[in-house]
Amino acid sequence: MQFDEPQLSVVYAAELPLSGFALLELMRAVLARGVPFRFKARGWSMAPFIRDGDVILVNPLQRDLPGIGAVVAFIRPEDGKLVVHRIVGRQGAAVLIQGDNVTSLPDGIVPQENLLGRVMRIDREGRSVWMGLGPERFLIAWLSRFRFLIPMRLRLALVRKRYS
Amino acid sequence: MAIVIDAVYFPSDDIVAREIEGELIIIPLVAGIGDLEDELFTLNDTGKAIWKLLDGARTLGEIIQVLEQEFDAPAGEIQRDVLGLVQELARRRMLVEVDAV
Repeated sequence: MQFDEPQLSVVYAAELPLSGFALLELMRAVLARGVPFRFKARGWSMAPFIRDGDVILVNPLQRDLPGIGAVVAFIRPEDGKLVVHRIVGRQGAAVLIQGDNVTSLPDGIVPQENLLGRVMRIDREGRSVWMGLGPERFLIAWLSRFRFLIPMRLRLALVRKRYS
Repeated sequence: MAIVIDAVYFPSDDIVAREIEGELIIIPLVAGIGDLEDELFTLNDTGKAIWKLLDGARTLGEIIQVLEQEFDAPAGEIQRDVLGLVQELARRRMLVEVDAV
C-alpha cells in the first residue's frame, strides 16, 4: 500500500458535508466530555427565537431534568434525528417537546435518555440574543403547548404591518 | 516539545476526535467549548492510520514498525513522516506524552 505523506488539515464546518447523523455524533462526543457544544442551527421550526443560521451554544445536561420552557437538543424518538425544540410539558421522567414554529403535532413524549443538552446562548450576526431563553420562556411554552403561539404571532405581525 | 521515538503518546484532553462517515474530525476544545464554527482539523488516510495507532500503549518506534509492514515506502520515510506528524500534533496540543501526564 502506498504511504502518502500524512497531512493535518484545517477545515471549517461549512466545507464539510456533515450529515445530521455526523452532527449528532460530534455533539454527543463533546457533551460527553462535560463541555458545551456550539454549532449553526438549520431550519425555522423555532423561529423567531432561533432562526436558520443562528449559532447556538448547547450545555451538557445537569443532574436535574431541564424545566418547562427550556430549549433542548434531543434525539427525536420517531426518527432518531437531532432536533432543537422547547420543553412544553413534563410527564414523570419524560418531557413533552414542541417546536415554537411548528403547526403539526408536538415531537411527543421524549424520554430523559434522549435529551442531550440545553441551549444557553443564541448568536445572531455576531451578537448574542436572549429572547426566548429568559423568564418569558415559561409563557412561550404555555402558548406553544396550547397552540396559541403561532396565531398570536400572526396577529401581532398583522398589527405591526397595519401600523408601520 | 521534543519528540522521543521510545515515548508513548495519546490524544490530549484538549480535543475531541471522531471518525464519522470516513472522515476523522478533530475538534479543539478552545476556552472549554467544542465550537463547530471555529477551526476544525482532519487527517488524510495516512494520518488517520498513524492516529489510530497513537493509543497510549505503543511507542513511536513500535508504531513505525507496524506501518513499515503495512505500507511500501523508502527506508526512513515512514519514520520521518510519523515523527513529523507527531511533532505537529504535539505542537497543537492534540497529543500528550503518556509518561508526562
